Amino acid sequence: MSVEISASGDVADRLAAVGALRRLADRLEDAAVEEAMRSGWGWPQVAEALGVTRQAVYKKHAKRLIAAGVALRRRSG
Amino acid sequence: MSSFDHYLNRILIAAAAEAHAEGSATTEAHHLLLAIAQDGSPLLAAAGLDHAAVRAALDREFALSLAAAGVRVDGGLPRATPLLAGSPQLGATAKAALERGFAAVQRKRDCRPGHVLLGVVLTPVGTVPRALELAGVDRAGLAEDVRREIAGGGDDR
Repeated sequence: MSVEISASGDVADRLAAVGALRRLADRLEDAAVEEAMRSGWGWPQVAEALGVTRQAVYKKHAKRLIAAGVALRRRSG
Repeated sequence: MSSFDHYLNRILIAAAAEAHAEGSATTEAHHLLLAIAQDGSPLLAAAGLDHAAVRAALDREFALSLAAAGVRVDGGLPRATPLLAGSPQLGATAKAALERGFAAVQRKRDCRPGHVLLGVVLTPVGTVPRALELAGVDRAGLAEDVRREIAGGGDDR
């Protein structure tokens, strides 16, 4: 993945870029959080690594990962 | 339920499945477009848009929009297990498309499947018009065809 931010160009393209980057970030987050939790990370570490609260990361991912059969460490762990 | 209610329900379920497959938490207008193409729309087919063509156009739009920020994804995106329980919520762009499609209808019983497609095709900005443009589709012409189909009593299926 190469990154080279350009502030120029058509505003419609730049708005579309923001939407696409959000979708990309969501996809990367879903995959990375799942991988981390599968390999034994705890919610606090994942939250800190993402720069969000552990409540936020738990709310966003716990249901999905439990349904996926990921053995989760205790929320406080 | 009327036959239109059945149609709308079928499309919403298929669109939610498309959103789900993408790992999207919401069903958006482009998922409606994929669902309509998958369901089989003669008007979309006539414009060269079967499900695979819509998917290809959306993928290209995504890549080009990322490229506008100088980002290129090589080798596809990492896969995550999608949420199995529950359906994605209807997102802002899908709501807007449905409202736009039904805006021309006086009474609910006058709703036709074509109105769903019309609302999606008339999406003025964002992913859907950009993808349709990349697919070489004349949106105004397609919208006119959909309107004609609705007026003619056809249900575009």
